[in-house]
Amino acid sequence: MSRSISRLAALTKRNIREIVRDPLSLIFTLALPLFMEVLFYFIFHNLTDQFQMRYLAPGIVAFSQAFLTLFTGLLIALDRSTSFLTRLFVSETKPFEFIFSYAVSVLPITLVQTVLFFLAGGLIDPSLFGPGMLLAIPVSLVTSMFFIGTGILFGCICNEKSIGGISSIIITGQSVLSGMWFPTAGLGNGILTVMKVLPFKNATILIQNTVNGITDPWEDFVLPLIIVLGYTVVVFTVAVIAFRGKMRKV
Amino acid sequence: MAAIKITNLRKEYKDVTAVEGLDLEIEEGELFSLLGVNGAGKTTTIKMLATLTKPTSGEAEIMGRSVTKDPAGVKELIDISMQETAVARKLTVEENIEFYSELCGQTKTEIAETKKYIYEAFGLGKVAKKQASKLSGGWQRKLSIALALVTKPKVLFLDEPTLGLDVIARRELWNTVRTLKKSMTIILTTHYMEEAEALSDRIGVMKDGRLLFVGTKEEMLGKTGTQNVENAFISIVEGGGQDE
Repeated sequence: MSRSISRLAALTKRNIREIVRDPLSLIFTLALPLFMEVLFYFIFHNLTDQFQMRYLAPGIVAFSQAFLTLFTGLLIALDRSTSFLTRLFVSETKPFEFIFSYAVSVLPITLVQTVLFFLAGGLIDPSLFGPGMLLAIPVSLVTSMFFIGTGILFGCICNEKSIGGISSIIITGQSVLSGMWFPTAGLGNGILTVMKVLPFKNATILIQNTVNGITDPWEDFVLPLIIVLGYTVVVFTVAVIAFRGKMRKV
Repeated sequence: MAAIKITNLRKEYKDVTAVEGLDLEIEEGELFSLLGVNGAGKTTTIKMLATLTKPTSGEAEIMGRSVTKDPAGVKELIDISMQETAVARKLTVEENIEFYSELCGQTKTEIAETKKYIYEAFGLGKVAKKQASKLSGGWQRKLSIALALVTKPKVLFLDEPTLGLDVIARRELWNTVRTLKKSMTIILTTHYMEEAEALSDRIGVMKDGRLLFVGTKEEMLGKTGTQNVENAFISIVEGGGQDE
């Protein structure tokens, strides 16, 4: 048990260093969403509620998590392509230790993202500060697990050249199907149903509703949480299976 | 005691037999080179011995532990340096060594000793604070091989360790490998005949998954009536020579 924990700690420390020393990952996970938060607020906040900070900041938190898919996937795909993982497979490290360490090592970045975007939002519109915002921080860690798990899965099945393309599906999905960039009231039933069953809008409204207050616990919180957690369990299960498969086929 | 004992080892992929009926014993402290053209089965053999790939049939034991029945026990005894450089890119040389040391459960004192040993054996101390991705190819390969020694393996697998290196970097690595001889059993695969000639106690030649020859350099030259290992290798591979 203690050996397993020390291996997890070593792997996690290494993964965090790899991620934070990549300037591109910091630009896309922190700088770009922060720029968008400030820009979109000042351009559009008088035009529609969509861009009021109480919706925009939690929306940006969810949006920025889509980039975690790209950088988690890239880290694993590069580890595979350079035989780094093959070498580690000769060690006593178990598959779940690899997966767990990849997931845990991205969580501090999620935490920094959430705090940064809420702080920036709160400085622009102080009404954002409150207990809802504080509660939304752990909720955002939960939603981020879906994006991190998807990144682990993509990293297991794609190479470092294709990871950008396939991750853009998730980034596009989060942009278009989260409903944060445009009003959804006028959309057809078909697309609204798609948005309801996919994790993107559910992850976004989970954080938005936690910040702004929950009126209907089932509709506003429990159902979106179940949907996001369901997808998270599925992607992690498939990721573990894919990772085990890669370990057998080195 | 044989460090490695291979009995009728076989690996099949769908419609290809990568390794066919391999029998071989390698003594403790020996440096054994496995030669062969591309697709001969060298890397597959190494991967089976390193527990990375399961044999289709047959058996191999590392210091008496079975690669099929006790892979975890085998992992405690071995390490591997693959063809490709396998280092953590954004970590410094020092952090790479610390990472592998922590991964195998070393204490702080042991980690300090490991770093000292690796800096001395590989000359990596002068680039200790440099990020691995910023090192030259030769230094990266040195680090990659050095990391395989962190676990203090009884058996070390070096899969084409000097592939793609310039002649100076290759010679430097040879000197490093020479210093490791006798302190552990080393199995090396290579395409460079002069490398096998310079480093090996014994040489094995593989073709199409079969081991065609096993013996010393002198036995190889004597058997083929040639003057150097390269011509002897060509003679064995083209003639499909027989093992003694």
